[in-house]
Amino acid sequence: MPVPIVQIRNLTKIYIRDVIGTEFGRLKIRLKNRKVAALKSLTLDVNEGEIFGLLGPNGAGKTTVIKILMGLIFPTSGFATLMGKPLGDKSVKASIGFLPENPYFYDYLKGYEFLNYYGQLYGMSAERRRRKIPELLELVGLTSSADLPLKGYSKGMLQRIGLAQALLNDPRIVFLDEPQSGLDPFGRKEVRDLILSLKERGATVFFSSHILSDAEAICDRVAILSKGALVNVGALDEILSARIKAYEIEAMDVPEALVSELEKISVQFVRRAKTLLFVIEKEDLAEQTVKRIINSPGRLVSYTPRRETLEEYFIRNIEKQQ
Amino acid sequence: MSKIFAIAFNTFKEAVRNRILYILLVFALLIMASSGIVGELTISARDRVIKDLGTASISFFGLLIAIFVGIGLVYNELDKKTIYTIVTKPIDRHQFLIGKYLGLLLTIYVNILIMTFFFLAVIYYQQYMGDETVTRSLWTRLPNGEWIAPTFLTYFFYYIKSIIFSGARGLGTLILVYRVDATADILPLVFYSCLEMAIITAFAILYSSFSTPTLSALLTILTFVIGRLNADIIIFADRLKGKGLTTLANKIKYDFAWLAAHVTPNLWLFNRRTSLAVDTVEVRIEPYPIIYGILYSVAIIYLAVHIFRRRNFK
Repeated sequence: MPVPIVQIRNLTKIYIRDVIGTEFGRLKIRLKNRKVAALKSLTLDVNEGEIFGLLGPNGAGKTTVIKILMGLIFPTSGFATLMGKPLGDKSVKASIGFLPENPYFYDYLKGYEFLNYYGQLYGMSAERRRRKIPELLELVGLTSSADLPLKGYSKGMLQRIGLAQALLNDPRIVFLDEPQSGLDPFGRKEVRDLILSLKERGATVFFSSHILSDAEAICDRVAILSKGALVNVGALDEILSARIKAYEIEAMDVPEALVSELEKISVQFVRRAKTLLFVIEKEDLAEQTVKRIINSPGRLVSYTPRRETLEEYFIRNIEKQQ
Repeated sequence: MSKIFAIAFNTFKEAVRNRILYILLVFALLIMASSGIVGELTISARDRVIKDLGTASISFFGLLIAIFVGIGLVYNELDKKTIYTIVTKPIDRHQFLIGKYLGLLLTIYVNILIMTFFFLAVIYYQQYMGDETVTRSLWTRLPNGEWIAPTFLTYFFYYIKSIIFSGARGLGTLILVYRVDATADILPLVFYSCLEMAIITAFAILYSSFSTPTLSALLTILTFVIGRLNADIIIFADRLKGKGLTTLANKIKYDFAWLAAHVTPNLWLFNRRTSLAVDTVEVRIEPYPIIYGILYSVAIIYLAVHIFRRRNFK
C-alpha cells in the first residue's frame, strides 16, 4: 500500500488559557491555568489523489488540524507527516497550497501584485509568474479585477483570489479551510467545480467544511470530528449505511379520511400547496400505503426510498455524544 | 535571499501606502521649515539651533515612523491572519522577520533621506535670504542716488530661483558632490541617526513579535529613552558608588541602575549633536559606533527570530 500523503498519528493539541481567578473569601487573586483540549489523539490518513472532507460542527477542531498540518501551531503531542516528510519541511511547503478560513490579504496590493508577491515567495521565476498568474486569474474569474486593490474586493472575490494563491505552484495537495463559507450559491458551485477539476489534474484536496451537502457532493472520503475527537472516518457509502432509512410518498387529491389515517402511521407528514408528503419508515407499511392511495380516488405522484443523508448522520451521532 | 528581499520590498510598499507615514513626514518637514524662525529667536548660536532642531527632528521622526508604522507591520500580519498564507509558503519564519525588518528599515531610511534633503535645502535657502549683498542687488539705484524697491515680480522670481538653487545644493550635498563647512556636520550626524534607528527598529520588531502594539510602542519608547540616558545613568550610578554603598537602599539603587544601563543599548554613542556646541570639533565617522550598531541590531533580531519561531499563530 502506498504511503498516505497525509499521515496523522495521535495528534493532540491542548490550549492553555490563563484565567484570572478571584477568591473573595480571603481575597486571593491567582492566575489559573485552564486547559482546553482542541484536539484529542487524532489518527487519520489521506490517500493521494482523493478529495478528503474534514467535517464537524463549529469548534470541533477542524481548523486546529489544518493549522497543525500547515505548521502554524505546534501539537502538544503526537505527530503528522505530509508526503512522508515531517511538518515544516521546505520542500513539502513548496508543493502544497493553502487557503485559510475567511482569508484576508494585504488590502493595499492589487490583485496581480498580490499573486506576484506570493509567486516570489514560492521562488517562482519571473517568467513563470508572468505565465501562471493570468492563467489563474482567468481560472477564478478575476481577470478584469487584476488591477484593482484588494481593498475593493467582495468577500467572494477574496475567496477566489485566495484560491488562486493556493494554486500558484501547481500543488500536489491543497488544504482548504471552509472554502465555501460566506459564498453565495454560485460561488459555492464554482468552488465545488474547482475542487473537482483539481482532482482531475491529480491533486489531493483536503478541505474542512460544515456545509454538509457540498461535502456530500464531492468527497471521496470524510472524517467527522466532534469536540476534538474523531467520530468516524471512511468513504461516504461506508459511513452512511446503505440501508434505506425511510420512504417518501407524495400524493394528491387523497380523501381526508384516508389522510388522517395515513398521518398516524407516518413519521413525518407535510401538507404542500398541491400535494401531500408522507414519510414512512417501514417497508411493508409504505407499500400498503401506496396501494391504498392507488385504490382511493387520490393520485400517487412519487414514491422514493430515501437513504440517510450526511446531515442526519451528523445530527444523530453528535446528539449521541452529548 | 531573494525571498527576504521580496518580503522587504512588500513591507516597504505597505508602509508607503500607509497614510500615517505621510502625516509624519509632513509634520517633520513643517518643523524643519520653521527652524529658521526659531533660529531668529536666538542671540548668537543661530546656526547651531537650526542644525540642532533639524537633526533632532530627523531622529525623532525616524523613531515615530519605527513606532507607528513599524509596530503595526508585524502585529497586523498576525491580527489579520495574513501570516497564515505567508509562513505556509516555502520560506522560514526567520526569513519573514528579517524581511520585515529590512523593509521597515528601508522605509525609515528613505524618509530620513527625504527629511535630510529638505533640511539641507532649508539651510541653503536661509543662507540666500540672509545674505545681504544678494538681497541688496535686487534694489535699483537711480542716477539721483535714490533707491527703488524691487517690484513684486522681481521678488517672486528671486524666491523661485532661491528655492531651486537651494534644492540643487541640498541634492548636491546629499550625493557628496557639493560641500560647504556650514553643512559638513549634518551628513555624519544623520548617519549616526541611521545606526541608532537600526537598533530601535530591531527592538520594535522584537517587541511586536510577542506583544500587542500599544505595549510594543511603550516598550520601544522606554528603550529609546533609557538608551539615550544610558551614559548619564552610569555616571550617576558611579557617583552613588563613590559615596559608598552603605545602606541597602543605595545598594539596590546602584544595582538597578547598573542593570538598566547594561541591558539597554547605549544610544549615547550615536548622539553627536553635543559636538555641534563646540564649533571646532568635527563630527567624524568612527568604526566603534558602526560595529556596535550593527552587532546590537543583529543580536536583537536574532532574539526576535528565536521567539517568533516557537510562536503558535492562533
